[in-house]
Amino acid sequence: MAQIFPKWVDEAPKRILIGSIILLNAIVFGIWYFFSPEFTDVGYMPEQPVPFSHQVHVSQLGMDCQYCHTQVEESRHANIPATQTCMNCHSQIQTDAETLQPVRDSWETGEPIEWVRVHMLPDYAYFNHAAHVNVGVGCESCHGRVDRMEVVHQAEPLSMGWCLDCHREPEKHVRPVSEVTTMGYSVENQLEIGRELVAKHNINAPTYCQSCHY
Amino acid sequence: MSDQSNQTTFWKSLNELAKNKEYEKYAEREFPENATEMTDQVSRRSFLRVMGASIALAGFASCRKPVQKILPYTKQPEDLVLGEPNFYATSMPFQDTVTGLLVENNEGRPTKLEGNDQHPASGGRTNIYNQAGILNLYDPDRSRSPRRNGESASKNDFVQFASEHFSDRNRNILFVSEANSSPTYNRVKENALQTFSNANWVTFEPFNDDNAIEGTNIAFGQRLRTVNHFDTADVVVSLNDDFMSPFGHKNSVENAYKLTSRRKVNNTDDSMSRIYSVENSFTSTGSYADHRLRLKTSEIEPFTYALASRLSESVSGLGAFNNVSNNFTNHEWVDKLAEDLLSNQGNSIVSLGFDHSSVAHAAVAAINSALNNAGNTVTYHEIPYYGEQHQTEAFLEAIEEIKAGVYDTVVLIGTNPAYSAPSDLDFEAALGNVDTKIHLSDYYDETSRIADWHLNRAHFLEAWGDGLSYTGQRSVIQPQILPLYDGLSEIEFLNTIVSGEESVGYDLVQETWSSYFSSNFNQNWETVLHDGVDPNSGFNSVSVSLRSGFASDIRPNLNAEPISGMEITIKPDATLFDGRFANNGWLQELPEPMTKITWDNVALMSPSTAESLGLPPEQSFKSNDVPTVRISAGDATIEIAAWVLPGHADNSITLTAGYGRNNLGRVADGVGVDVYPLRTSEAMFNQPASVERTGSVYEIACVQDHNNIEGRDMVREATLEEYRENPDFATYKSIHGYEVPGIKEAKAEGDDRGPISLFEEQYGPDYQPQWGMAIDLNACFGCGVCTIACQAENNIPVIGKREVGRRRIMHWIRTDRYFEGDRDNPKVYHQPVPCMHCEMAPCEQVCPVAATTHSEDGMNQMTYNRCIGTRYCANNCPFKVRRFNFFNYTKEYLTTGDDPEIIQMAMNPDVTVRFRGVIEKCSYCVQRVNSAKIKSKIATGSKKPEDGAVQTACQQACPANAITFGDLTDQNSVVSQHKQNDRNYVMLEEMNVRPRTSYLAKLRNTNSELA
Amino acid sequence: MSKTYEYVPEPALVKGNHDFKSLTALITDINMRPTPKGWYIAFGISNILLFVLLFSIGYLIWEGTGIWGLNAPAGWGWAIINFVWWVGIGHAGTLISAILFLFRQDWRTAINRFAEAMTIFAVMCAGIFPAIHVGRIWVIYWVFPLPNQMAMWPNFNSPLLWDVFAVSTYFTVSLLFWYVGLVPDLATIRDRIKSKMGKVLYGTFALGWRGSNRHWWNYEKSYMILAGLATPLVLSVHTIVSFDFAVSLIPGWHTTIFPPYFVAGAVFSGFAMVLTLMIIVRKIYGLEEIMTVDHIEKMNIIIMVTGSMVGFAYLMEFFVAWYSGVEYEKAIFILRATGPYAWAYWIMITCNVISPQVFWSKKLRRNVAFTFFISIVVNIGMWFERFVIAVTSLSTDFLPSSWGYYSPTFWDVITYVGTFGLFFTFFLLFLRFLPMVAVAEIKAILPQADPHNYDENGEYDPPKVEIPEPVKDSEQKG
Repeated sequence: MAQIFPKWVDEAPKRILIGSIILLNAIVFGIWYFFSPEFTDVGYMPEQPVPFSHQVHVSQLGMDCQYCHTQVEESRHANIPATQTCMNCHSQIQTDAETLQPVRDSWETGEPIEWVRVHMLPDYAYFNHAAHVNVGVGCESCHGRVDRMEVVHQAEPLSMGWCLDCHREPEKHVRPVSEVTTMGYSVENQLEIGRELVAKHNINAPTYCQSCHY
Repeated sequence: MSDQSNQTTFWKSLNELAKNKEYEKYAEREFPENATEMTDQVSRRSFLRVMGASIALAGFASCRKPVQKILPYTKQPEDLVLGEPNFYATSMPFQDTVTGLLVENNEGRPTKLEGNDQHPASGGRTNIYNQAGILNLYDPDRSRSPRRNGESASKNDFVQFASEHFSDRNRNILFVSEANSSPTYNRVKENALQTFSNANWVTFEPFNDDNAIEGTNIAFGQRLRTVNHFDTADVVVSLNDDFMSPFGHKNSVENAYKLTSRRKVNNTDDSMSRIYSVENSFTSTGSYADHRLRLKTSEIEPFTYALASRLSESVSGLGAFNNVSNNFTNHEWVDKLAEDLLSNQGNSIVSLGFDHSSVAHAAVAAINSALNNAGNTVTYHEIPYYGEQHQTEAFLEAIEEIKAGVYDTVVLIGTNPAYSAPSDLDFEAALGNVDTKIHLSDYYDETSRIADWHLNRAHFLEAWGDGLSYTGQRSVIQPQILPLYDGLSEIEFLNTIVSGEESVGYDLVQETWSSYFSSNFNQNWETVLHDGVDPNSGFNSVSVSLRSGFASDIRPNLNAEPISGMEITIKPDATLFDGRFANNGWLQELPEPMTKITWDNVALMSPSTAESLGLPPEQSFKSNDVPTVRISAGDATIEIAAWVLPGHADNSITLTAGYGRNNLGRVADGVGVDVYPLRTSEAMFNQPASVERTGSVYEIACVQDHNNIEGRDMVREATLEEYRENPDFATYKSIHGYEVPGIKEAKAEGDDRGPISLFEEQYGPDYQPQWGMAIDLNACFGCGVCTIACQAENNIPVIGKREVGRRRIMHWIRTDRYFEGDRDNPKVYHQPVPCMHCEMAPCEQVCPVAATTHSEDGMNQMTYNRCIGTRYCANNCPFKVRRFNFFNYTKEYLTTGDDPEIIQMAMNPDVTVRFRGVIEKCSYCVQRVNSAKIKSKIATGSKKPEDGAVQTACQQACPANAITFGDLTDQNSVVSQHKQNDRNYVMLEEMNVRPRTSYLAKLRNTNSELA
Repeated sequence: MSKTYEYVPEPALVKGNHDFKSLTALITDINMRPTPKGWYIAFGISNILLFVLLFSIGYLIWEGTGIWGLNAPAGWGWAIINFVWWVGIGHAGTLISAILFLFRQDWRTAINRFAEAMTIFAVMCAGIFPAIHVGRIWVIYWVFPLPNQMAMWPNFNSPLLWDVFAVSTYFTVSLLFWYVGLVPDLATIRDRIKSKMGKVLYGTFALGWRGSNRHWWNYEKSYMILAGLATPLVLSVHTIVSFDFAVSLIPGWHTTIFPPYFVAGAVFSGFAMVLTLMIIVRKIYGLEEIMTVDHIEKMNIIIMVTGSMVGFAYLMEFFVAWYSGVEYEKAIFILRATGPYAWAYWIMITCNVISPQVFWSKKLRRNVAFTFFISIVVNIGMWFERFVIAVTSLSTDFLPSSWGYYSPTFWDVITYVGTFGLFFTFFLLFLRFLPMVAVAEIKAILPQADPHNYDENGEYDPPKVEIPEPVKDSEQKG
């Protein structure tokens, strides 16, 4: 009786089996990596109505974060400054800069400037700035080197796993409260200092669900 | 505004997907009940949602994430910290009283009302109307603009019209106003009456305390307000007076917290006051009483006279009642009550329901003065703004005058007579004789429709005002937000009419108050704004004595005969009052305290009465269909569902008003039956009627289908004596006769926390507080305010009648109500049931995705965004406190109305709104707990806030102080104290789930001779 | 004068004097002859039902779980009932093919093939329900322990999670077992079928089977191993399904008797379903000589036994509830028999406990029509058993205040009906394209397959023994 299949078919079953196993794993790990905030969100850099440069204001002019984000120590929000705050200086300097037109408009009309939100947590995740900055979690730790950002972008994944990394081992990340707004803070004996700080502020970063989700 | 409403933006963006389509749809819907959306067919909306979704997908394809905008202030307000709510004092007017409130204000958006503890009428507590007030503010169905002959007009049009029309000062004007205690309002009223020489002013409230006031006039010759000081009374006799319920008494909050303060028992030495209730229908107050006697409404007054007559034998001052004899003369209760009252002269209270006749109220006044209670437990006060005449009678006369064509202009303020006036007046027709009819109201209601001018009224959170509490403390009403619909307050409205120009409420109020403070006004004013009340104010109390000629006047009226056959009694509704709250979804969906019915009114009757009408003596467990009856009185007839309420008086039917609205609002329309047609000027309260079954049925959504406690030990109770003999009566051992299984073994292993267990025990680390709750069943009278407070605090959606009927109610805290014993005279238990936050929670064991787990501070946490909705946890919860979002309830709820943003403003920004397919449940108000912990951590470095720093919404609202919450690791916290109380017990102890929520067993201070 | 026999052999398992060739023809011709009209009609109907299923699932996912009759006390309803019911039915196949195989029950060969097929399709139907009954099916993958940015694992304490693994394992092994058994027969068809298309398709799945000695040796071994693996699974899967209930603390669920009781029930319903299908199939395809009345009788005996075990379990539940002294346990069982769901309870008792007892009579258990009727009754009964367990316990549990009545909606019903569409669609495809009896295996039980039946010349020469007729009941009594 004539052969129905060519010879190579003998190998097929084995290959199909192995191939599918590899494929399956590839899919799982592909999703795990490419669909996670670390890949999708980091680097999000939307265009802002006013080309405000943190680089200029922080590095060159050496302004402190809290000059504008005034309520970060008392509120859950690190507030976006009111137009007033901008006008404190820009009523004197660069009063006719083209790029500042929206600010002046806002000041005259009272219409707020529509900033585009960069760091977006899901609505079911509660985050409180005050709770963090008051125990020595630096701005930098979550927002990156803002002082080097011409346009602000998202520097960290802000994913749950990422939060937990720090909540599980705060000593690796905390710094003296006085250093919170420092950019580029680093010490050799971080662990040592970290442990002291953790003890000092008796930091017990919660890892249970409803410390963030409710 | 900045990104403050984190929690709600998510939903806003969702709505935006298919908003325009949602518009059309909601515009078309006559009945908003979400359930109507959820018919088991593919509804048009679903189709639209497909469209919506596809649009959304198109949108998402382009950008990775919906872009969120942040809109900072241009000028940062001084006192505002984003994300930190501010609290302002204000007060809520209700009839002619106000209750002091604190308003939680998130970035200029009032989201929650709490009691103001500096305000006597509140004492920091609230009732359901106060709690639900916030939803009325954001009701998209409130009237949004003035209307001239039904056509929408502008405020200016009206001002112009007013200035012309009222420039003629000699017009014959009739002002018909709701009861209002506001000093400013009454000042402007006086102006009006002086300005318009031919003006007449009457007040109309369908349910009021005129008879009580008239009663004091008969007894003492003065129109006085009766104030009962329940905190000082040892014996309270309530004659058909539901003084603890907001619909039974306008000072219910103060009554409740004062009465319950005399019922707090911490050890066997403490005493309790004793409460007797003689009533027709079964009320909260009746269920709270130690002894209850059911009488037909028409028998209450004869009973009162019999009691007075019996007392007259022993005390002077009741001569009028000497040997009055009727069926009750030899009634056991008359003897026993008399004995107890006589042995408690000077510290007892006899109170009578407002709606009873003024003669009966006079009798009660006489009793109280004869018993020397007057001046002690009962005080009488002058009401400056109350006229020289019985207000309802004045109103009736005025209507006659209208018919006679006396008036050319009628100005109706707040009140809605076209709906609620006695039917025999035919108010609508009467108004036909008037050229100009002007009506100010919250809704475009029945009266607005027949008025030439309708003015939309500002909500009390939108406008300046003031008012007097029941006992006369001056309180300020300060607005929390600019009028959403640019409405007028009644003060501004009235002053516009008088002055002919638009008026500013703020100025008018300040003008009034400037007279109260002789010196440094601003400072005093600031203080009052801060406190919400002027502490050194109040009605003058007057010492009273019986009027000479009282006896001769009252004697002839004492032989009132009870109605022999079937009688009906018309009362305000438990949740809608006279109908003013009809469009409030929270109140519509709040189970009525005794029947647990939502979204409807029914004809309440006793089991025997039901049988005599050929109806089943109890509701079916399997079906929501309830037989209906046809009730005819005078020439009016209604058909209404018949509901059996054990303990109701026989041959008597209780009806509640406020339902059966048309074109009022999406929530109110088509719900329930209007009973006002049965109400005539002759019979406002109680009248004979003929009742027959129709044979048809009507679907009722009741949240509790099984009322018998089946002899189970969920609720534990003893009399005060029993408690003193055996303080441990509430323990498992003394109920079952043996220890909880496994407890000995545990003790043997040196574990005293509870029975031995297979599971890892979950106790948090030492630096964490351990939260717990104790609920005192001896205080709870089942009003349900905890449910509304919780709903307001935790963004709980309204799901509509049909879904409730399918037993899918979403309330996080419910109040179970059990009947026990004889169906004619049952005992009733109220038991609030929130999540028990079990230390070894069965729900946590079974969730496949760890969506519900245990927190370090000892709470059973529910993580909505992890939940996949297997409902296994709900099944495995022995207390059935877990709720499931069977449909997208929140979205339905938050997209009611033409502009969803309005109702969305009512949302609490600290609480996630839940989406379809997830479980939710009581969280011990974790948002409050966490913010307190963070504050404490920042301030003191400790995660344990001081005791009292965290109050759960239910605890804060409870007028009876029944709920305590706090840190169990703090031995001195109030809740720890309560848990050490003898009466402390947990439900289902033998299940060894170790609930953190425990109960204090109920006590009844019974009279051994009556028992 | 009576004869004496050295031994009384079993009556022949295959009636009629078939030889290898005729058997092969009898079975495989079914797959090769042109498709009969009746099949198209049946297939059409099943397809319609299948679409009903798909639509109802689609609408469910669109609108939400609320379209079902579920409510506050009863968080589980028809979906879970159907799941347990289908899984139960899915027991017979593997039990017949694996356990009976290990016990050398030769009669299994006539029915194991399509019993297994039934198993696989039943488990497919079952598997649908746990998936669609969740509120947010789009995140159901969270039950699998996959790496993720949330750094979250599923909760391995949850019986529901055990279920996921138990059922999927069971399905996989059953499928493998079935397929391995199929290989030689696929080869047979490959060799007999005329069409090129057929040759390629059957050839592909025959995996190049040539029937060489080595092939047979591997085949036997792997079949034996899989049988060994499948056997514990038969017990484990329904044990774990029963844990969904037994591990919770709801009265009437929280009992240790559940695992054995569920397994017995499963075998009970499984055999009933096999009978239902077999009785139709043997008639239509004229396989009476293979699936004989003897088979039916044997299975009826198993039904009777397992039915009695189930009945015993019902009694034990009552006893234990009383003996435990737990008031809620006591209450729930009294409520089952007398409460709002008494009607369901008594249907259950009648169908499951009383009806199988009729099989004490030899006449009835050899009566095909009657057996068919009972098999249906048993399946109805077992559905109601699951209904009673799931619903009554939930709707009347601890706090009387939360008691509530559960009743299904239109959508509950058609989703269930729809699963029959899925089941029969696959089953009909199976009947049409695969040999519904294990040809290779059944040949092995022919006398011709017994080497003792050949003389020294290798001629087929079975020993001449007279096989006594089965004794009549009437005579037995005498």
